[in-house]
Amino acid sequence: MVAPSRGLLSVFRNSTPYQNGASFARRALSCSSFSEMLADPAHKVQSYLSQSRDPYLNLSIEDYILRTSPADSTVLMLYVNRPCVVIGRNQNPWSEVNLAILRSKQQQQHTLGDVHLVRRRSGGGTVFHDEGNLNWSITCPRSQFTRDAHAEMVVRALRKLGVDRARVNERHDIVLDQGPRRAGVHSDGDTHQTPYTVADQEGPRPLKVSGSAYKLTSARALHHATTLLASPNLPLISHYLRSPAKSAIQAKGVESVSSPVSNIGLDVELFQTRLQEEFAAVHASAGQCPSVQMVGEEHLNIPAIRKGYEELRTEDWMWSQTPQFTLSLQPYLDLEISVRHGAIEKLDGDSSMMEEWRSILVGQKLQHVRDWNAFLRSRMRTWTNECAVLANHLAVNLPVPELSIEN
Amino acid sequence: MCQQWQRPQSVEKRLFSVSAAMAEKKYTEDHEWIELSEDGKTCISTYAAKALGDVVYVELPEVGLEVSEGDTIGAVESVKSASDILTPVAGTVSEVNSALEEKPSALNKDPEGESWIAKMNVEQEPAGVLMSKEEYAKFTEDD
Repeated sequence: MVAPSRGLLSVFRNSTPYQNGASFARRALSCSSFSEMLADPAHKVQSYLSQSRDPYLNLSIEDYILRTSPADSTVLMLYVNRPCVVIGRNQNPWSEVNLAILRSKQQQQHTLGDVHLVRRRSGGGTVFHDEGNLNWSITCPRSQFTRDAHAEMVVRALRKLGVDRARVNERHDIVLDQGPRRAGVHSDGDTHQTPYTVADQEGPRPLKVSGSAYKLTSARALHHATTLLASPNLPLISHYLRSPAKSAIQAKGVESVSSPVSNIGLDVELFQTRLQEEFAAVHASAGQCPSVQMVGEEHLNIPAIRKGYEELRTEDWMWSQTPQFTLSLQPYLDLEISVRHGAIEKLDGDSSMMEEWRSILVGQKLQHVRDWNAFLRSRMRTWTNECAVLANHLAVNLPVPELSIEN
Repeated sequence: MCQQWQRPQSVEKRLFSVSAAMAEKKYTEDHEWIELSEDGKTCISTYAAKALGDVVYVELPEVGLEVSEGDTIGAVESVKSASDILTPVAGTVSEVNSALEEKPSALNKDPEGESWIAKMNVEQEPAGVLMSKEEYAKFTEDD
């Protein structure tokens, strides 16, 4: 019932068609040409495609576009990332992500090997990316910004490729309706309903194929989103996005809303081209039809992009940026641990070990502890059963995997 | 005596004297306001708060943070959108409104009153455009 894409999946599993695509034969702009073209006030409509699969780099190029493009311009950027989990700016990685399986060296059951963890600059919830997923990003003037406009454009592009179940929902996501086709109902231009739309609880739930997030500045608005086209990893996604600490953590900030997902079942390059055409057509009225320009690894030499890139890869951005949260170890221990700016702020509860635990743990930055058991054992004067319980629960609930530094 | 040079230590040393005229709220083109008074309270304007939609998280600066004009002193999340809050003036953060951590939605209710985000020790006359309430109202109409 789900993916109309079984056929494609088997093809995609064994090859990487995107990488082999014709677009990769083209050369990226030089750094100075990119900077000049992007900032040129005459370029009101611009279209870019990234050749890089590095999520940190693609997010940094996007951010550079947001901050550098002319105030009245509209800029599209498309990219595909290697497998990674991307959390929203104000989210808690310990409660949103199954951190323990990110760095698994071999492909064990239900894991993909090395999966990057990224905190983006925009809001919203946690998503999984891989090569079957096209990311689109549109930066436009804040005065023209609505949360739906660009998703509506993407829905029109999908429908032109025959995906007539696609619509924008009330959460600004794109979903595929799963109801029976109602005769005589035509969605025509309405991107918010389809002939397959059924009222809540009156039929099968729509399946999410694209989620939205936004970054706003006073003059500009960036809307970016995933588009799940042909991911071979659908069954694994929930495994990555389900944390063992979820029920034990009370977090400030933003909690993800989980939705059933599906592949759309389109070839990545086919959709990429359609989306570029749709974007050009929508903005052709501005009197310009942009040619698609390539960006990629070489643009790390632009200082502002390099700076953003390094920042996204710091431990502080990943862990210390986490909004305040508490971890409760009930019913195993009468202990509540409060964490602020990535450091343990206080311990509450009742235990004979409390004083010693406080002296060891309060002020400790989580990101500096790779092994909770070794950490506690080397510091406790006496080791009791309670200490072992604490160490085990910290290891399960507050692991800090190494962020992958190598490319 | 480097320390003293870096941090004006008392109210008396501020460039701004406390007067009725200075207690007036001033607005920036980035839709922030500041009270150039003893408090130096700052936040986003009602206009900006309405444009953001329902606020679900407010990131406050740390007390003691030294900033230049236009630097980020906080961030807000609303309906999947992250937006930075910029400081209209250079100075040091002297106090933050922790109530917003517990209740971010208060920012929608009273962004120009109870829900200020930080108080600034203003150290320098701002270089950027600052508008009066009337001028700002005109500015947002034209926007």
